[in-house]
Amino acid sequence: MKEFDDFNFSVDKYTKELTRECVGGSDLQQRKKEIEAYNEQTSATLKQTCKKNYMQFIQTAKEISRNTVYVHTDYSLLQSIQPILTDLESEMYQLSHILIEQRNILATMTDGKMSSQLKANDSLEAAEANAAAATEDVENSHATRAVKEMVQGFNGNLEGKTFLNEGALIELDGNDYRPIQRVFFFLFNDVLIVCKVKHDKRLEFLTEYDPKKIAVINIKDLDGVKNAINIITPDGSKIYQSITAAGKSEWIEKLEEAFRFDQQKKSKKGQAPQPPGRTKQQQTPSKSTTPEKLQDQSPSDAQPKSLEDETPEWLSTASEELQTLVAQRHFEDAQALIKRTQDFLRQADRKKLPQADAIESKVKQQEQKLTNVLIQELSNSHNRNLQIALRAARRPLKILVEMGRSRQASATLLKVCTVSLRVAQREARRNNAEISELFFCDLTQVACDFLSAFEQQPACVSALVVWCNAELQYFASQLIKHYLTKGTSLEAVAKCVERVRKPATKLTEIGLDISYHLEGLLRTTLESLIEESKQRLLDAVGRTEESWQPYNLQTKSNLKRLLHELDTLGIDMRAQATGDTWLNLTQSTLVFVRQFLQLTEYCGCLAKGEALMQSLEQLLRDLFLAQHALKPPSDLAVDPNFVMKNKVFLVDNLLPIAIDKFRQISGRQCEMLRELHTKLARQQGAPLPRQRSVYTTDVF
Amino acid sequence: MSKKPTAGPALHKVIMVGSGGVGKSALTLQFMYDEFVEDYEPTKADSYRKKVVLDGEEVQIDILDTAGQEDYAAIRDNYFRSGEGFLCVFSITDDESFQATQEFREQILRVKNDESIPFLLVGNKCDLNDKRKVPLSECQLRAQQWSVPYVETSAKTRENVDKVFFDLMREIRSRKTEDSKATSGRAKDRCKKRRLKCTLL
Repeated sequence: MKEFDDFNFSVDKYTKELTRECVGGSDLQQRKKEIEAYNEQTSATLKQTCKKNYMQFIQTAKEISRNTVYVHTDYSLLQSIQPILTDLESEMYQLSHILIEQRNILATMTDGKMSSQLKANDSLEAAEANAAAATEDVENSHATRAVKEMVQGFNGNLEGKTFLNEGALIELDGNDYRPIQRVFFFLFNDVLIVCKVKHDKRLEFLTEYDPKKIAVINIKDLDGVKNAINIITPDGSKIYQSITAAGKSEWIEKLEEAFRFDQQKKSKKGQAPQPPGRTKQQQTPSKSTTPEKLQDQSPSDAQPKSLEDETPEWLSTASEELQTLVAQRHFEDAQALIKRTQDFLRQADRKKLPQADAIESKVKQQEQKLTNVLIQELSNSHNRNLQIALRAARRPLKILVEMGRSRQASATLLKVCTVSLRVAQREARRNNAEISELFFCDLTQVACDFLSAFEQQPACVSALVVWCNAELQYFASQLIKHYLTKGTSLEAVAKCVERVRKPATKLTEIGLDISYHLEGLLRTTLESLIEESKQRLLDAVGRTEESWQPYNLQTKSNLKRLLHELDTLGIDMRAQATGDTWLNLTQSTLVFVRQFLQLTEYCGCLAKGEALMQSLEQLLRDLFLAQHALKPPSDLAVDPNFVMKNKVFLVDNLLPIAIDKFRQISGRQCEMLRELHTKLARQQGAPLPRQRSVYTTDVF
Repeated sequence: MSKKPTAGPALHKVIMVGSGGVGKSALTLQFMYDEFVEDYEPTKADSYRKKVVLDGEEVQIDILDTAGQEDYAAIRDNYFRSGEGFLCVFSITDDESFQATQEFREQILRVKNDESIPFLLVGNKCDLNDKRKVPLSECQLRAQQWSVPYVETSAKTRENVDKVFFDLMREIRSRKTEDSKATSGRAKDRCKKRRLKCTLL
């Protein structure tokens, strides 16, 4: 009874708990009596306290009046008594107030109990249902009150409706998807109330719809508008946007619930006596009828010999037991029982077990069934999230391996993984996330899980290898389709390939070497992309217009910036700077130097795979030659020495640096560029051995 | 905030109809994102929008992918009303889905009240020709009866996927230009035609 003194005491809660605790109506009656007794006791105590206080009050008052008489002149005393008097008065007032309140609470409590008691007559279930209904009612009345209090201009009747959902949304323009206004929805089973959210956060009633007359469309793709739904109402189609994706799916779900509300209620009632598990149970007996018939026959045959029947009871019921275990999803126990039966039958004396064959065949059937169920379970474990899928797969997997069904299990598991992997990639791609890393992480994870589950089974491991190759093929095709499309710049290609190669080589750590296969899959595409880039770059070189004058950067800082940029690319051009803002080379030479060094970097990256080496070398060589072959038009008067200077710079300075850079990045020697260098240096006239020593770091 | 609707590219509203599991979503996703989705998840009602170039002119296509399941039948009217053209899909491996197209056709005609609404009969899953249950001749016959085109597609191999969407958009476009040109007299004409048909029936 202490709960009553609790500050947070709630009548509803207490009643619910009470109904849950009590078994049967008599128990409830008993509790009722107790509470009533407590009620009387409390009111008596209250009365007494009240009377005592009152008496005290009167006495004090008497004393005061006496004091007033005696200390008539002592004004100060009187003043000090006054607050005491007011205090007393307020206390009295509070007391009577509490008294009234207490009485009300007790009254409602007994009422509530009476009503719930009526319903909770003799079954506990009914009481629980009542409690659930009570919470629903509370929610309904809460929402109804909220609508009444908060929504201006709504005066529909909400009595007896079931509240389903509420929330804020943004209404968008149907043409350009701009936000029009903020709205707030209240959804009841048969009405959707749409309110406008005003600037002072108050709600203004806009309109209401019958959920059965509106159609909801999930907008999956609308020019980047996220989390939007389209509601087709009798007065046109409207687009509403939710702030979160979860909010959107909740609205879709709830609006559908409202749409089907009446059907659902009916069907719920119809289904109530049939728990959902029933279909399964139905299947089991129907399947088992045949073996049971068999069993019926065999004992009649075996009857004469039944004297010697030593079948232990657990064995004869094993098949039924297995059915139950499988139905209850106690797969481990089922497997253990199968094993026990098999072991027993193997060792036991068959002559003493007249039913041995029948039992064995039945258990075998059950084993087959268990396998099927587990495989089914395993194939159902697919999930958008690979981790979850793998975790879900672990249990059936373990049992299947123990049952010696590794092959079946591994095939199913890999199928499940394929789905997860591809779904994840697709989603990542749509969200512009990094797919290479994701793919290889997932692959690693599958491989690790797989190897730990099937380590002892070489056949399964080779299945994994085959699977990896298949997935790799799919991944490469996706990569080609979405990231290595025609016209992709070499920079992007290099980055993309780099991102694929790195994790691919890492996979060798767990014993999977797929790099070679991957290179092979990407090779043709990459080659054609390189070829295409080459054409594009050559065209660009051919189009350059050159004045064959030294390059004026206009300001000091421009010059400084360019020099710094070239320095980071690996070439020091400070020696070419003259004056404050000049570089003693043509503009196109400088642009080319920068571009060529960048390209060398990308090509170097790509050249880490041996297969592409040739086309990359060709690209660099042809491009260099094209630039080197640039000549001033015959009608332009230029200093031939300056033209020569540019060419010499390209051959003597740029080329060695590029060769070196290429080797550093790719770890391979770019033979074509080296040959080119020797050839061009020779053409330029007597190359000085001193110059050669600058770059020839390699021993021939 | 601009109050006027922006004069963007023309918008053609296409609705996918047909029984559950025939591949409406697969066709839609193949058209939208060039990919074949194998995992089956029944659709309720999803909409997609995409800019495409139709005969050199940029237009927008709005695809409403509807639920094929029977339990959504009651609400279909609401969706159909907004459609300007329909792709009525069935699976050539499932005769029931073919029979169901009759019902979809009737419902569309009732809602749109227009015998010549842009409409294509689409036999999907033509990559599974070895499992074909609906003979080609029967499909063509039905299309002929309705006087609509019949196309076989495969969302898996992408065969004819673009074709059905683009053919339908062309029909919608020509219907729109025809409608805008139509004088009141012609409109009446069509009304008469329709009434005539009704009396015949």
